[in-house]
Amino acid sequence: MAGTKRSHDGMEVNRPSSKSEPTSEQTSPFIPVFEFFRSELDEHHDRRERIIKVSRDVTAQSKKIIFALQRVRELGRPIQASISKQITPMHSTIQDLLQTIVPDLQGINAYRYRNNITGGIQEFMEAVIFQHYLTTQRVMTFEEAAAQLPEGLTLTYEDYVLGLFDTTGELMRFAITYMATNGRLPGSEMGSKSNILTDMQLLRSELEALDVGGSYGLSKDFWQKLRTTRASIEKVENGVYSMIVRGKERPKGWRPDVSLTDGPREADQVESY
Amino acid sequence: MTTPAPITTTTASSSPHVDPAIFSSLQTKIDEEQAIRDELRTHVDVLSKQGRLTQSILSRIHNTPTDQLEANVLTPCYDALSEQTKTVKELAESASKYPFYKWNSIWQRDIQTLISSMQLCDWLKSGNLLTLEEVGQRLNVPVNLKSEDAFHITVEDYLLALTSTIEELARLAPNAVTLGDYARPLQISKFIKDVHAGFQLLNLKNDILRRRADGVKYSVKKVEDVVYDLSLRGLIPKNNETG
Repeated sequence: MAGTKRSHDGMEVNRPSSKSEPTSEQTSPFIPVFEFFRSELDEHHDRRERIIKVSRDVTAQSKKIIFALQRVRELGRPIQASISKQITPMHSTIQDLLQTIVPDLQGINAYRYRNNITGGIQEFMEAVIFQHYLTTQRVMTFEEAAAQLPEGLTLTYEDYVLGLFDTTGELMRFAITYMATNGRLPGSEMGSKSNILTDMQLLRSELEALDVGGSYGLSKDFWQKLRTTRASIEKVENGVYSMIVRGKERPKGWRPDVSLTDGPREADQVESY
Repeated sequence: MTTPAPITTTTASSSPHVDPAIFSSLQTKIDEEQAIRDELRTHVDVLSKQGRLTQSILSRIHNTPTDQLEANVLTPCYDALSEQTKTVKELAESASKYPFYKWNSIWQRDIQTLISSMQLCDWLKSGNLLTLEEVGQRLNVPVNLKSEDAFHITVEDYLLALTSTIEELARLAPNAVTLGDYARPLQISKFIKDVHAGFQLLNLKNDILRRRADGVKYSVKKVEDVVYDLSLRGLIPKNNETG
């Protein structure tokens, strides 16, 4: 015992047959049971890795869809053909990707990999809620959103709400661009009582009214997301104000001044790409 | 000069575009979760309290001579464990109504502590490692469920518990010597090395289990050092061969 050769970390070094398994492995009575554990853990890790990969790919595709949707110039109409042609294949890619992990997320595993898939689902929610608003000027309900996922995947309300938060940032970007281009607020035509700003304001007050203390999944990100949403809505509010005050004075290519107040730092936290 | 007319706004709540029902039903879902969490918490709080008692009984192993272990530690420990088993039954009944992996973080820590106490207690009594199946049988709950969604003991729970058990035994090795039991470190050394060999078979990812399993080798070393000190001084009992 005393003369045992040790490697740097204090483990025994098996000099004579360094290629073969250490002797303790051959004699340990726990080898069979640990071999079983190994196969169980391997199965779990493989599944998790597949899901993580799909989540990343879904995120990337969803970002592309959102990016394309920011070129939409009208509200409450079907997506124009040129953009629709671009995003339709992306939507089917997402469906295909999600479909591949449906078997991995069945039964007891439905919630097991929640943390691994949540990123992709949230970004996808952001894309579909944004697209739905652009075409219908309505905020997609949870049930409608859940139907966007392939059968066998459950939408959690956390992913829906967090996706909805991020959508407000997209609505802000869309509204500002629209105002800069058309000199008016999207959704305000036809004597409509509400427009994108009132929708955003209402969305904000509804989100602010949620009591998320009881939700572990939400309470983590909620306040950060809410700050960002508030900043987005204020940007549109300021944009509308300056558009009305300065009106037709604006030169060609003018963009609404969104930083009316001495820019709160939160304003910079809106996700950009 | 023509300026655009002010944007007509109405009270926000009248917008037809944002259905308030979306948010009231969200709030309902959140409140339901809170109620579930409270229900599970009550069981876990009891389990946690009982677990602290079990742990305090087991911590006496470090200053109880081996020949008094049975009466002073193991018997009261098994009593405490059987109390915990009752709580686990209640927890399992509650928890099985809900998705296991949605909630298991609430009880994971206390269940792992409990499993570790069981492993330690059993090893001290018999020198054997309690298997995952035996843990399930004693607690009267399933283990390693793969499709049925119900309360159970996971492989990870069992393995994480085992790393704690190993640490506790590594602590016992020098303390046993202090109490005059020179055979104990050899017995512990053999066991820890066997378990360590098992852990080396696992393909671990960069997670909690890896960090804890990495710690097992320090326990191996710690106990080996004790054995080395004893053998150097000829203090190892003759009828015991080294592991």
